[in-house]
Amino acid sequence: MTQSSDTPATSGRSRSPVAAHPVTSAIIAILVLASIFFALYVPFYASATPKVGDFPFFYFYLLIYMPVLGVVMWIIITLQRRLRPGPGAEGPAGAGDGEVTR
Amino acid sequence: MSNVNAVTFTIVVVLFLVVTLTGFAAARWRRAEDMLHLNEWGLGGRGFGTFVAWFLLGGDLYTAYTFIAVPAAMFGAGAVTGYFAVAYTIIVFPIALIFLPRLWSIARVHHYVTPADFIRGRFGSRGLALAIAFTGILALMPYIALQLVGIQAVLTVMGVGTTAGNAFVKDLPLFIAFLVLAVFTFVSGLRAPALIAFIKDTLVYLMIIVAVLYLPTKVGGWGHIFSTAQAHMTSISPVTHKPTGVFIPTTGNSQLAFSTLALGSALALMVYPHAVTAVLSTKRRDIIKRNMALLPLYSIMLAFIALLGYVALADKVTAANVKKANNPQLAVPYLFQHLFPSWFTGIAFAAIVIGALVPAAIMAIAAANLFTRNIFKEFFKPDASPRLETRVSQWVSLIVKVGALLFAIGLPKTFSINLQLLGGIWILQTFPAIVSGLFTRWFHRYALLAGWLAGMLYGTIAAYNVSSPTASHWAGSVNTLWGHTYYIGLTAIILNIAVSAVLTLVLRAARVPAGTDETLPRQYTADPVDAPARPAPAAAVLESEVPRGD
Repeated sequence: MTQSSDTPATSGRSRSPVAAHPVTSAIIAILVLASIFFALYVPFYASATPKVGDFPFFYFYLLIYMPVLGVVMWIIITLQRRLRPGPGAEGPAGAGDGEVTR
Repeated sequence: MSNVNAVTFTIVVVLFLVVTLTGFAAARWRRAEDMLHLNEWGLGGRGFGTFVAWFLLGGDLYTAYTFIAVPAAMFGAGAVTGYFAVAYTIIVFPIALIFLPRLWSIARVHHYVTPADFIRGRFGSRGLALAIAFTGILALMPYIALQLVGIQAVLTVMGVGTTAGNAFVKDLPLFIAFLVLAVFTFVSGLRAPALIAFIKDTLVYLMIIVAVLYLPTKVGGWGHIFSTAQAHMTSISPVTHKPTGVFIPTTGNSQLAFSTLALGSALALMVYPHAVTAVLSTKRRDIIKRNMALLPLYSIMLAFIALLGYVALADKVTAANVKKANNPQLAVPYLFQHLFPSWFTGIAFAAIVIGALVPAAIMAIAAANLFTRNIFKEFFKPDASPRLETRVSQWVSLIVKVGALLFAIGLPKTFSINLQLLGGIWILQTFPAIVSGLFTRWFHRYALLAGWLAGMLYGTIAAYNVSSPTASHWAGSVNTLWGHTYYIGLTAIILNIAVSAVLTLVLRAARVPAGTDETLPRQYTADPVDAPARPAPAAAVLESEVPRGD
C-alpha cells in the first residue's frame, strides 16, 4: 500500500481518505445524494393517498422526512469520522487506521 | 381593532424587557480580554459549542419573517409557494454538509471573517471579493427590513400604533424595538443574538407545540383543515379565472416550480453572509457537522408553522379578518388572537417579535463585517488595526439597521418583499465562486466575476418581468422558459456557471494571470482545535493545526 508514517500531516498528504476507504466513501456519497433526491423528486410523493391519519400523503411525507433526515445525517457524520486519518481519530476504528499506525 | 388587549400587551412588553436586559448582559457572557476585536464582536470569540451553535443557527436561519410569510403563502396559494419551504429546509442540510466544514476550516486557519475574505485569499482578486461583499450587503438589507415587517404584522393585529395619523407616532413601537436592537448589537456584538436565541427558541417551541396541539381541535380537526384547504385551492379565483392555488402539485410545471424553488433556496441559504457568520462563530469543525444532523428538528417546526396557514383558512373568523385587511401576512397573528386566550397570544406574539430581533442582529453584524473587511479595509485603510475594524463594524451595523428601518416604514411593504425575493436570487449568484473555490481553482477569477454579473443581470430582469393578473411586475419568483416553469434564481445560477466555465477556457487559453492562492489543500480539512482564535504569527498557526481529513 502507500507509505506509512507517524505524523498525521504526512499521512494526510500521501493518500486521500477517499482512496483509502472506497466503500465508506461510496456509502456517504449515496446517502447524501439520496437524501437530496427523495425530497426534490416531487412525483414520488405528490399524492393525496395513502392518507396517514388525517394528513394527505404529500404533507405527511415531508413531515416524517425530517426526523429520518436527522438520523441519516448522523450516520453520514459517523461514517466520515472513519475516513479521518491519523492517531487523533476518534470514534469507531476504521479499516485503514491500523495501516497508518503500523 | 383599536382596543389593545391589556393582558397580551403587558406580556409582550415584559418579555421584550427581559430580552433587552439579556442583550446588554450578553456583553459580559464568555467575556474576552479585548472585546475590541472583530473575532470577538463579530464572531463571538469563535468559541461556541454544539449547544449554543444549535440555538444560534436555528435562531438565525428560521426568521420571524419565515413564521409570517410561509403560512401567508400557504394561506394564499397553497403548496408550491408555501410548502416548498419544507423541502427546501430538508435538502439544505445534506448540501451544506458538503461544503460548510471546508469553509469553516479554511476560515479558521486564515482568520477569515466573511465569505468575501475567503474569495480574496483563494483567488487573489479584490474585484471578485468586492462583488461578493456587495451582493451580500445588498441582499441582507431587505432581509433585515422584512424582519421589521414581521414585527409590524404582529403590532397591527395587537392594535398598537395603527390608529394615529402621524407616521412617526404610528411606527413608534417599531422605532423603540429597533432602537433597542441597534444598541445591544452595538455593545455586545454576536454574543447578544446568541444569548437571546435561547429565549427566542424556547418561546417559539412553546408557541408551536401549543398551536399544533390546540388550534386544530378548535377548528374541527386536521381532516377538516385539509379538506377546507383543498376546496379553497381548487376553487376558481374570480380575479385570475384559474384555481386559487395548488393543494398537491400534480402537474409537471407545478412540480418543477416546487423542486427548483426548493433547490435554489437551499443553495442560497448557506451562502447568505449571516449564515456564514453563525457558522464561523463555532469552536470546532465537528460542531458544524453535528448541527447539520440536529437542525432538521427545527424544520419539523417550520413544517407545522407552514400548516398553520391552512388552519387559518379553516377558521372562518380569521379568514374573514385577513380578507378585510387584504393582507395574508396577518393570517397567523389573527389566528392566534382569535383562538388563543389573551395571555398565550402575548407569549406567541412576543416569540415572533423576539424571533425578528435575533436574525436582524446577526444580519446587521454580517453586513457590517463585509463592509469593514472587504470595502473599508481593502480599499480605504489597508493598515486598519483590529480595534479600528471593530469600531467601524459597530457603527456600520447601526447604519445598516437605520437603513432597514427606513426601508420598512418608508416603502410599501410589497417593495421589501420583492427585494427580498430578489435578494435570494442575488445571493445565489455568489454560490459558484464560494463553493467552487472551496474545492478547486479551476475557474478563473475574471470568469467567475463575469458569470456573477450575467447571473445578477438575468435574475433581476427576469424577476422584473414576472407579471400576474394583479401585478404587472415582480409578481413572483418563478417564470416560464421554453414551456417549463422554473425558479428564476436557479436559471440564473445555471447561466452564471455556464458563463464562468466558457470564459475560464478562454482566459486560460489567453494566459491571463489567475492570481495568487494563499491557501493550501490540507487547510480545507484542518481542525485547529488548539489554535488561537485570534490572529497570531502565521508560523505558529500553521504548526498548531492538525489536519484531520474526511
